[in-house]
Amino acid sequence: MIYKMHIVSKKITCKDAVLEITNQRVIFWEAQKSLILSDLHIGKAAHFQKSGIPIPKNVLTTDLERLKQLILHFKAENLIIVGDLFHAAYNKDLDEFKAWLIQFPYIKIRLIKGNHDRLSNAIYQQFNMEVFKTELTINSLKFVHDAVEKPTNSFIISGHIHPGVFIKGRGKQRIKLPCFQVTENQLILPAFSLFTGLNTRQSLQKCKNFAFTNDGIFEV
Amino acid sequence: MSNFKETSGYQIIQNWMEEKGNTPFSFQHQTWERYANNFSGMVVAPTGFGKTFSVFLAVVIDYLNYPENYKKGLKLIWISPLRSLAKDLAKAMTTAVEEIGLDWEIAVRNGDTPTNIRRKQERSMPDILLTTPETLHLLFSQKRNSRWFKNVNCIAVDEWHELLGSKRGVLTELAIARIRNLSTKTRIWGITATIGNLEEAKNVLIPYDVKTTMIRAKEKKNIDIISLLPDQVEELSWAGHLGKTMSSKIIPIIYENTTTLIFTNTRNQSELWYQIIIEEEPDLIGQIAIHHGSIDKKQRNFIEDAISNGMLKAVVCTSSLDLGVDFKPVDCVIQIGSAKGIARFMQRAGRSGHSPFERSKIYAVPTHSLQLIEVAAVKEAVKQNEIENRNPFVLTYDVLVQFLVTLAVGEGFKPEETYQLINKIHAFYYLTKEEFNWCIHFITKGGNTLNAYEEFHKVVVDDDGFYRVKSRRIAMMHRMNIGVIVSEAMLMVKFFSGGYIGMIEEYFVSKLKKGDAFVLGGRVLEMKQIKDMKVLVKRSKKKKAITPSWLGGRLPLTSYLTHFLRLKLSDALTPNNREKELKFLHPLLNNQHINSHIPNHDEFLVEMIETKEGFHLFAYPFEGRLVHEIMASLIAYRISQIAKRTFTIAVNDYGFELLSDQEIPLNEENINPIFSKENLIQDVTASINASEMASRKFRDIAVVAGLVIQTQPGNKKTSKSLQSSSGLIFRVLEDYEPDNLLLKQAYNEVFDYELEKVRLQAAFKRISESKIILKNAQNFTPLSFPLKVDSLRGTMSNEDLSKRIERIQKQALKDLK
Repeated sequence: MIYKMHIVSKKITCKDAVLEITNQRVIFWEAQKSLILSDLHIGKAAHFQKSGIPIPKNVLTTDLERLKQLILHFKAENLIIVGDLFHAAYNKDLDEFKAWLIQFPYIKIRLIKGNHDRLSNAIYQQFNMEVFKTELTINSLKFVHDAVEKPTNSFIISGHIHPGVFIKGRGKQRIKLPCFQVTENQLILPAFSLFTGLNTRQSLQKCKNFAFTNDGIFEV
Repeated sequence: MSNFKETSGYQIIQNWMEEKGNTPFSFQHQTWERYANNFSGMVVAPTGFGKTFSVFLAVVIDYLNYPENYKKGLKLIWISPLRSLAKDLAKAMTTAVEEIGLDWEIAVRNGDTPTNIRRKQERSMPDILLTTPETLHLLFSQKRNSRWFKNVNCIAVDEWHELLGSKRGVLTELAIARIRNLSTKTRIWGITATIGNLEEAKNVLIPYDVKTTMIRAKEKKNIDIISLLPDQVEELSWAGHLGKTMSSKIIPIIYENTTTLIFTNTRNQSELWYQIIIEEEPDLIGQIAIHHGSIDKKQRNFIEDAISNGMLKAVVCTSSLDLGVDFKPVDCVIQIGSAKGIARFMQRAGRSGHSPFERSKIYAVPTHSLQLIEVAAVKEAVKQNEIENRNPFVLTYDVLVQFLVTLAVGEGFKPEETYQLINKIHAFYYLTKEEFNWCIHFITKGGNTLNAYEEFHKVVVDDDGFYRVKSRRIAMMHRMNIGVIVSEAMLMVKFFSGGYIGMIEEYFVSKLKKGDAFVLGGRVLEMKQIKDMKVLVKRSKKKKAITPSWLGGRLPLTSYLTHFLRLKLSDALTPNNREKELKFLHPLLNNQHINSHIPNHDEFLVEMIETKEGFHLFAYPFEGRLVHEIMASLIAYRISQIAKRTFTIAVNDYGFELLSDQEIPLNEENINPIFSKENLIQDVTASINASEMASRKFRDIAVVAGLVIQTQPGNKKTSKSLQSSSGLIFRVLEDYEPDNLLLKQAYNEVFDYELEKVRLQAAFKRISESKIILKNAQNFTPLSFPLKVDSLRGTMSNEDLSKRIERIQKQALKDLK
């Protein structure tokens, strides 16, 4: 299941930052050489396995391969992960992630903790990443896992809800796709892991949905 | 013969019945004698004629004659599909053994049995246990359970026709196989209503090398079928759900009879009809109740008791009252809308006039005009005594996986012995050794060899060669998931002050906003808050409220019924004098005749209509909605071979619609090849989105095989980190493990049950022998209108996704301008 990705991106401006949203579930922030992503849920497959639910283990391998291709494509030097990096308790999947990280010694990872990230800080230290309990602000962008409060004067980037959108056509046609949700002062990322569901409930007002497929991204 | 009649056992029962003023029916007598001669078998009898006492007393007589053959503990295991039946049956059996003077203990065990009673049973099993297939499997998952099944003399399966056509039938087959393995001399007896394939039903129940017999009761239930007609044909809408105008006709019927059961097909409709009736006749409030699967169990029990006691004039219900305890006061049944099948229609009719020599009375209330033809068709079928088959499930790997884990949780199992055991039963007769080994691998290693995962320890092999579940957590999760009835994710509905009202589907709740009013259990409620899988509500004064739409209730018409339907439609313009339904419909049928055509039984009608919505194609095979879904995709596929098109598909039980935004290139020249039976299965496979259909089928399979953990309604989500959807797991397995047997099963189920392959082939053969008639209509016709407004929709496309989205978008933009 490891394939050459077709990466399509689209530039949008959020406050004074120019962000490239892509059809591969990440944002590239060129000024900071950063990939912004959310909800990797590493360890989910192994967690299911441990509970006696057989999920194929290459689920994680594919997710990591996708991330690798994105890092190389954009020549990124930073990862900003807005939560739910790890799904549950420590398991073999996390070892695989650790081994994978070795090929990118130069990458700096910053994690804003999500509701699933409940491991002890010592474990996060092993992965050599900087961990933020609730938020991180860089220039005019504020990164959180779940944007509960109304944005004030900064632009909030979050994940958590795994947004999806229905596309409707004439003759009652419907297709469900993952998307980025963007408002004037807020952006919600789709889940990066492919082993995640979609939530099509629209929570934001005056919101643009950027849906995507394997070979395109477009506004709905 | 005379020998048996001289036995003391027979004499005792004979005397006991005589004292009560009863004479045994000949089929009861026959059953007793055959049982005494060591037969296994099946009793075919209508309800109300004492079929229970055929098998139950057979065991009693045999015990009285040969007490030495009966050991302490379980003697008779009585399996029935319904919990509600057990309580009353146990009462009747207890009375009987007391009067006969036996010291047998008779007990019920099912999901409703309190824990202390279960523990007591486990210490000392009763002589007769009334239970369900699921509960038996739960017993198998207990430590040292085989000691209970060492001396079982008889396993009786009540209402076998109900279990046969579902995976619960497979659970029953497995349970019998295991018990028979422990008590080799056990006799197996089934009790069933009439179905089309009785011989097969018997062989599925008793696949063993023993003497078997089939005993058919000569007694027959007489049914009066009366169709309820509105005053004028226009009053009944061409389509739509309700036929509200009919309520004024229903009220007098309720008053004329003692107690009336009003059957609707869905919970949604039962809620609506309850509202309609009390609006029309407020005096009935307090004398009419509503009963369906989403209503609180206590409430339902209360209603059932009230029916038995004659306290209610009417009950609006769904299939929740199809089976179950006999309600003596019920003397009338009303069926609203189509019953979808002949057997089901008769079953419902049989709920009235229950005692052996009363007649059953059923009123058929059409909810749209064309259903009147269906009533005529049902009447004809009943007259000719044609009843549907119930087809048994085979190669249900999900049930097998569940069973193996059940054994592993219980006493552990050895694969070779277990393979020998299950290979005998009908469901797994064709199971190969490879497939069995795959299942073993699946529960021990978690997938195929390449994907074997070191942290997966569901079932482990012990040093003694037994396969066991070691983790208490996994054992507990498995016990909670035993069974094959998969329900939608449901939420409990409760008042803020505490009272419990019932359940609604998560899907419906997700569309509700705070303050919205909806109807449940006949009450208008205002949604206040969702918390821990509970919907908190308060009473609402709003007049307008949404009725929850529960999924399900989308059964297709059976092929038997559609056969009669085509015949009736064909002579619709020249009805004979006794068919008042067809005579009544004459104006409407005439409209169809003038604007388009009424297909004769050897014709096949296709209509083309252009409206501002787009270009419509309507076709009417009258084959039930499942077959229509496939036919529609197939025809869409064949047309799009001529020119690229995206179609929206709509189906109902009578026909299907293809709707396109571009002109449909179908004409007199190409219509025959497009509806041809050549290359049928290849084209079907190419045309349907088999993967999407299989994904839907996979929902149940994933739960049964333990891939998706069901959350019990009302419980807090205890294992939140294990929540996932079957759709997601299906996708992942398709990508990484395409040879997974559970995926294969999903596809098999699509072809066997969803595509109804056999029925589809028969339908195309029939069409190819018919004259195809293509009509251009100016406007919707009586046949097409129901399809337009009231149907299920799907999409069929051979354009690629991005192109489609682009075009949909352009249209959407254009439509905005």
